[in-house]
Amino acid sequence: MNRIKASELSAALFLILTGILCFISGRSFQTMHRPEPVFPSAGLTATHRLSDYFPPLKNTHGDTEVYIFRGTEEGGNLLVLGGTHPNEPAGLVSSVLLIENIRGKRGNVFIVPRANASGFTHSDPQEGNPQRFAVPTPSGPRLFRLGSRLTNPVDQWPDPAIYINPARQKLSGNEVRNLNRCYPGRADGFLTEKMAFGIMELIRRERIDIGIDLHESAPEYPVINAIVFHENSSELAALALLELQAEGFDIRLEASPVNLHGLSHREWGDHAGIKAILLETPNASHGRLKGKPSSSLIVDGKDKFYAKASRLGWLFVPYGEEGIPLALRVARHLAALKALLGGLAELEPEKAVEVEGMPPPAEVQKKGLGAFLHPPQKSG
Amino acid sequence: MPEWLVFVFLVAVFVLLAMAAKVPIGPALALSALAGALFAGEGPSLRHLVEGAFGYFDTILIILTATIFIKVLEDAGILDTVTALLLRTFYRSRVLLLLAAMLILMFPGMLTGSSTAAILSSGPLIAPVMMKLGLPRLKTGALIVMGGILGMIAPPVNILIMIMGGGVDMPYVGVTLPLLVLIVPLAIIVPLVIGYRDLRVIGREEMMSILPPALGPAYRLRLAVPFIVLVVLMLAPGVTAGRIPDIGIPAVFLCAALVGVFCGRPVNFLKATQKAVAESLPVLSILAGVGMFIQVMTMTGARGWIVMSILSLPSFLLYFGIAVSLPAFGGVSTFGSASIFGIPFMLALISKNALFTSSSLSAIASLGDLVPPAAISARFAAQVVGEPNFFRVLRHCFIPALLQLAAGIGMLLLAPFLDKLI
Amino acid sequence: MIRIFYLLIVLYLSLHLFWHLFRQKNPWSQAGTALVLTLFLLRLFLIK
Repeated sequence: MNRIKASELSAALFLILTGILCFISGRSFQTMHRPEPVFPSAGLTATHRLSDYFPPLKNTHGDTEVYIFRGTEEGGNLLVLGGTHPNEPAGLVSSVLLIENIRGKRGNVFIVPRANASGFTHSDPQEGNPQRFAVPTPSGPRLFRLGSRLTNPVDQWPDPAIYINPARQKLSGNEVRNLNRCYPGRADGFLTEKMAFGIMELIRRERIDIGIDLHESAPEYPVINAIVFHENSSELAALALLELQAEGFDIRLEASPVNLHGLSHREWGDHAGIKAILLETPNASHGRLKGKPSSSLIVDGKDKFYAKASRLGWLFVPYGEEGIPLALRVARHLAALKALLGGLAELEPEKAVEVEGMPPPAEVQKKGLGAFLHPPQKSG
Repeated sequence: MPEWLVFVFLVAVFVLLAMAAKVPIGPALALSALAGALFAGEGPSLRHLVEGAFGYFDTILIILTATIFIKVLEDAGILDTVTALLLRTFYRSRVLLLLAAMLILMFPGMLTGSSTAAILSSGPLIAPVMMKLGLPRLKTGALIVMGGILGMIAPPVNILIMIMGGGVDMPYVGVTLPLLVLIVPLAIIVPLVIGYRDLRVIGREEMMSILPPALGPAYRLRLAVPFIVLVVLMLAPGVTAGRIPDIGIPAVFLCAALVGVFCGRPVNFLKATQKAVAESLPVLSILAGVGMFIQVMTMTGARGWIVMSILSLPSFLLYFGIAVSLPAFGGVSTFGSASIFGIPFMLALISKNALFTSSSLSAIASLGDLVPPAAISARFAAQVVGEPNFFRVLRHCFIPALLQLAAGIGMLLLAPFLDKLI
Repeated sequence: MIRIFYLLIVLYLSLHLFWHLFRQKNPWSQAGTALVLTLFLLRLFLIK
């Protein structure tokens, strides 16, 4: 090939190849901008957008839906955040499950299923992940996007060399696109800081009493199967732990480190004074030991490398050959949510929040997620 | 399809293309990634290939803009003038010259955490001085690489630790002291090991005769302006705690380059850019190819297989595994290695003081900049000293790199003792 | 503001890469340039 004389012709040929590569890959990247449909239950009382609380987010990819379920009786206000990290699918799916099933009874529930909407519009380079995963339902598979931990660089670029977050913590530059490092946000900052600020505005304007941020972590990460709590919620977390253990869930408490700033479980408590809780379940698909990433790795959670790592004692959670399926991870989130609401009612009855129609965790585990999800939209 | 087979296939295709068919490394990596995806039954996976390459987009911008900066300084006659200035100041003492050279080489890396930025910005200043004073070209290259690598891990900015810390919730606080304990001795010993024997002490006459053609005194103060712009833009965000925004390394280099156009002889900025593009493209295409290669390794499960194989070494081999796998995977990407191996190793050593662990792991991982196929730092240093075959520069990095590896492993082993001491 | 500046940088470098592609003699080097140009174009048009 070296002997073939390159000419303008071969350059033009390569230019055409570049065009084809751009077109094919670009079209695939663009499909990530189509959000998965959510079908709220009849109990939905209003849908707001984050930009209703913080207008500068309007017409940006940082804007996102807030689903509101108001109860008929007086009570507290609960905020549930899914999709802070769009590569942690249990957060999104748990939120959607709630939105499609619950009715408010006492107090008000605010659910943001895609907290970092921009993060859902791209995939992490070099992670080899599928763009979507399919949750089986009786009437066919429902597709959800698997996004990136970080805001899409198309929406927020460039990253600084070093990121000093609103809470003055020094972090590596790309954390500037990590919503869970940007709290309490900056009204005039980067897009991700504006999203964080918008969520803080929602918390302030809706007088939220308790905020729950749904996450997942890699099985080799020490904070896993855990309730991470702000010190103002230690009693609540302890009560929830007892309840969860009684139900047979192996779970641990982790106090929010006081020197780790910019995270929801720290800044929601410090800056808005609300009870702040973050939940973690184990997700093999964003770990470093994962085998071939696929929709099934996310939904069925089976991974032979993690099973081996577990046998070798490398993990912070037991990981057998049978895997840790998404249904179990979502059931854990729901069970923890239920236990936390139970604890809240006991500690501060005037702030109690009660909902009806919440899918029972044991049933979710037994019947699968599909039994509680709306059938997929028939494509026309 | 077993993961190991995919991995063997990927490597085999790459070796075949690069060695037997003499395809340049970048396209060879890209083609082997494509072949690997097809072999594993994933189809052409164009989306994956492009996505993998994007992992290096920011690095590619840094390299391009840094090279433009250097080309502008070169065309403006500023490089030669700085060389003359350094020669006049340090020609009398070998030790002082070597230490000063090391500090200048490390400085941009200390501020940006990027060895590439360090090598490309201060390498061209130091290289002519050393070579004029008798240090062989290849050893000069080795000095520049080691300066870049030590600069990358020296405080205040060590991105490798930030990456590893991010994976275990360790804030980037308190690493300055452990890093200094590790790096100061290396920064003193390494330049002496590389250069003390060859460097000549010369008289004033001889020094004057080898001075490159410098710009006249009328330029003196103006010459410093691009460097001042560079340093101020890099330092300002940290010093003002973010009140002056961080515009990112590429923009910093480009601003300094634009200022440089007006600080020496007239420069054609378009021509300087064209030269920079031509010079850096081989490395840029390697980075794009490496990104594709990793993406295919991950999407086929081969990456998981490699990580698992190393982590499941018996515990007495753990330190050996650290010493080999961290730099070895750095041959694909040093930052990637910190994330993919560094974090699991941090967790494996969680019983020790994380500040010492992360400092020593970063010192070991940074050596990945020397390892082929990417060998980014070595390639650039070879380019700076005009050596087409970077392996010849690498040979002279061997002993300094071993010293750094020993220091890193030593700190890991001594962590409990150091913990009590400091 | 900074974002627009960066897009201008990408545009400027894309044009140079394009120019470079047509001046190279070795087809393999052209392939490498085309690879890098793909990334620049996708970012320039805010696709990836």
